[in-house]
Amino acid sequence: MAEAWIGGAEAPLEQAIGAAARILSESRCAVIAGLGTDIAGAEAAIALARRISGAFDHMHAAAVLRNLDVMREGGWVVTSMQQARALADLVLLVGPGLTASRQALVERMRLDAAPTLAPDRPRRVIRLCPGRESTAPALREASVETIGMKPEELPVLLGLARAQLAGRRTGNVGRQKKPLSDLVDALRNARYGVAIWSTADLDALSIEMLCGLIDGLNARTRFAGLPLPPEDNVAGVVQVAAWRSGFPMRVGFGRGKPEHDPWRFDATRMVESGEADAAVWISACSPKAPAWQRCVPLIALVAEGTRFAVPPEVVITVGRPGINHDAVLFDAHLGVLAAKAASAPRPAARVADVIGRMTETLTVAAPC
Amino acid sequence: MLTHLVGGQVVDPVNGRDSPGDLWFEDGRIVAPPAPNRAADLTHDVSGAIVLAGGIDIHSHIAGANVNTARLLLPELRQDGGFDPAPIGEHIGRLYACMGFTTVVEPAISPNVALQAQLELAAIPFIDKAILTVLGNEEYLLRLLRAGESTAAMADYAGRMLAGSRGLGIKVINPGGAAAFKRNIRSFDLDDQVPGYGVSSRVIIQAMQATIAALGIPHPVHLHCNNLGLPGNVETALATIAVAEGKRLHLAHLQFYAYGREGPRKFSSAAPLLAEAVNANRNITADVGQVMFGQTVTVSSDTLRQFNARGQAHPRKSAIMEYDGNGGGIVPYRYRRNNFFNAVQWAAGLELFLLVTDPARLFFTTDHPNGAPFTAYPDLFALLMDRDLRAQWISSVPAEAMAVCTLPSITREYTWPEIATMTRAAPARLLGLADRGHLAPGARADIAVYRPQSDKAAMFRAAELVFKEGKLIARRGEIVEKVFGRVLTVQPGFDAAIEKQLEAYYDDLYGVPHTAFDVPAHAIAQADPFETVPCAR
Repeated sequence: MAEAWIGGAEAPLEQAIGAAARILSESRCAVIAGLGTDIAGAEAAIALARRISGAFDHMHAAAVLRNLDVMREGGWVVTSMQQARALADLVLLVGPGLTASRQALVERMRLDAAPTLAPDRPRRVIRLCPGRESTAPALREASVETIGMKPEELPVLLGLARAQLAGRRTGNVGRQKKPLSDLVDALRNARYGVAIWSTADLDALSIEMLCGLIDGLNARTRFAGLPLPPEDNVAGVVQVAAWRSGFPMRVGFGRGKPEHDPWRFDATRMVESGEADAAVWISACSPKAPAWQRCVPLIALVAEGTRFAVPPEVVITVGRPGINHDAVLFDAHLGVLAAKAASAPRPAARVADVIGRMTETLTVAAPC
Repeated sequence: MLTHLVGGQVVDPVNGRDSPGDLWFEDGRIVAPPAPNRAADLTHDVSGAIVLAGGIDIHSHIAGANVNTARLLLPELRQDGGFDPAPIGEHIGRLYACMGFTTVVEPAISPNVALQAQLELAAIPFIDKAILTVLGNEEYLLRLLRAGESTAAMADYAGRMLAGSRGLGIKVINPGGAAAFKRNIRSFDLDDQVPGYGVSSRVIIQAMQATIAALGIPHPVHLHCNNLGLPGNVETALATIAVAEGKRLHLAHLQFYAYGREGPRKFSSAAPLLAEAVNANRNITADVGQVMFGQTVTVSSDTLRQFNARGQAHPRKSAIMEYDGNGGGIVPYRYRRNNFFNAVQWAAGLELFLLVTDPARLFFTTDHPNGAPFTAYPDLFALLMDRDLRAQWISSVPAEAMAVCTLPSITREYTWPEIATMTRAAPARLLGLADRGHLAPGARADIAVYRPQSDKAAMFRAAELVFKEGKLIARRGEIVEKVFGRVLTVQPGFDAAIEKQLEAYYDDLYGVPHTAFDVPAHAIAQADPFETVPCAR
């Protein structure tokens, strides 16, 4: 089975790495994008970006930064799924995206059972504005209530609840009156509440309103948020980016120091505008191709089965971290970085090794 | 390669040296002077300079989920690429190395976030590193104590958590306080009990002392007491010293507990009282956690305290994270020179430094970044060694603050042997690192050479020469060669039966395997990343 191609033709891995290094050596403004890789791969990719004075981004950056912006603007109180399972007598499933793709996670929290550390307290589960998704099977047994339906109503509902809890008079709530008072009562009576949301499925205003609501609730009772990040190890890459550059993704090293700018270092924008003259696309966790349309000299490190609209200059097939090889990845259930042994090991190139060799083969001098 | 440092003032209190002389080292270790017919491969003339062992920092928050959240929380403060209260790993290593520090302990890592901390440590070059594993608020431990389990059972649990997280010792942070906060308790004193468990801080502290003794871990309980930062909390610290009942106990960042309620603003320094208690109780060690003025970010696993401090955040934001055990709280804060309270805090720290008489039991820290970033160390050394400089600083802070402390009346100046004891010899002994902190043959060739000059802070900021295991890594603030140190751990062992108990417990309570949080050696992309420090058992 071939694992490397140059210009669409099969090639030995070393040649492909050499070709990639040449493209990067000749580039003046390269971006490392996708970044769906394990911790070691992300460390290598960020080191490469620094070395070539380029930039790095992640395919799910928009969702993650939208969430992170709420934290770094006003702060938050958050917790883990283990705490939710053990302590929460009220669980809010906020907005869409929680019943289908997050099924396994929700099941492992055992929301249909009482909190394990407070077995005498029945658990109440409320879905807020979930949209038109069907009720998840795991939750059918539980007495799941639903308040609000359309996701676009969510910020208003949260805002009204927040105002009422703060003792402010609210305006005309119309047909939301009953659901709203139900929600406010539930929030008031919770001893330890947890609000869960999917980062990719909530708008900035809703996240901000929710975190503000949680903050206010903590004046009298205990409440915490639990954002669920998208896949492709984006939550892990955020952590690596922070300890390697001081920032999350969308960082450029072009001026000799890391600069974080969510607009300027958006890989898609950089490519579409013609600003980037080369790109590395990494998608080892799942076979995803870049979203941009414009042609740019492209080096792709991807899981087997990735389809490209336009063939990249260099393609290297890499193993899936945690599946084909041991890896450290963000574990959404644990809520932390965890070591994952390969579930289906096979000899396959690893992003960290390929990027490391590419970096060693560069002909540009390291910046001082 | 045989290296020869010629003519420096060698200050090595462990071996009774404070005199001009030579130092030889080879293959990473100090060696005795060679036979006269053997010449050095490399000679450095350090005449007139001070030669010390490499510095050891026992308490500095340099890695882990809390520190990394501090990085993510404050992008606006690091737009120039750096932010000293939360530097990136690469800069942490460089800045420490240039100051002559070669070993640094990250003192607060909960077992469930240990892997990230170890990955972050692996990204810090130049220095050796270690974590202290935080125990004392986990439901499992509270259950053991509620059930009146034996010290042996506690030791098996603690030994297993140390093995999983790869810690060098055990940290206890507001014991029971974080667990109580999850049950909506908003203040937690020494004898308050965690609801549902009937277990107090006092009980947890004493149990952990017994556990550590049973495990034979060199480092005693590293305790972050209750009531951090509150006026009048000197009473808590004094009561905690009594709790130790003569057994070894390390009190972290003591300055934050040196507050009385005297004076017109009901806030004063009680450092003299506390220093007296430390002097009188030889079982007690403490680090200071000095406050220095400027912007910083407080990073702590005392979630209760951090939650309550949110109102003082500057900039106005914070992140509180709750999980099994302690969790974490990140609250940015600015210490102002012209602020009465901050000036009292600054003075109380210096009083502790100057009034605790034994530099072998008092440790040099700012609780980085909680009192100040570690990059403030050079200024702090200068303040300790120069009373005229202190007088200048004293004249620049509010007089009313100086009226509620004794700092202006203290004339002591630290000597080089005292500095060497406080930052080298004593930390090595406290952590059980027999081959560090001194310069006898066989010791690790971690060496810092300082060139005396009128600006003492400048001397400490950029050591003349710094060697890590015999390699010259820094010269006058510039990096010479990049090396990577290792992570120091203890492995006291445990009865394998604990695995089954933990497995059942984690599965029932949390629905996760207890092994999921472990740090396997293969997860660290570095050859031979760990070094084991021997235990007594």
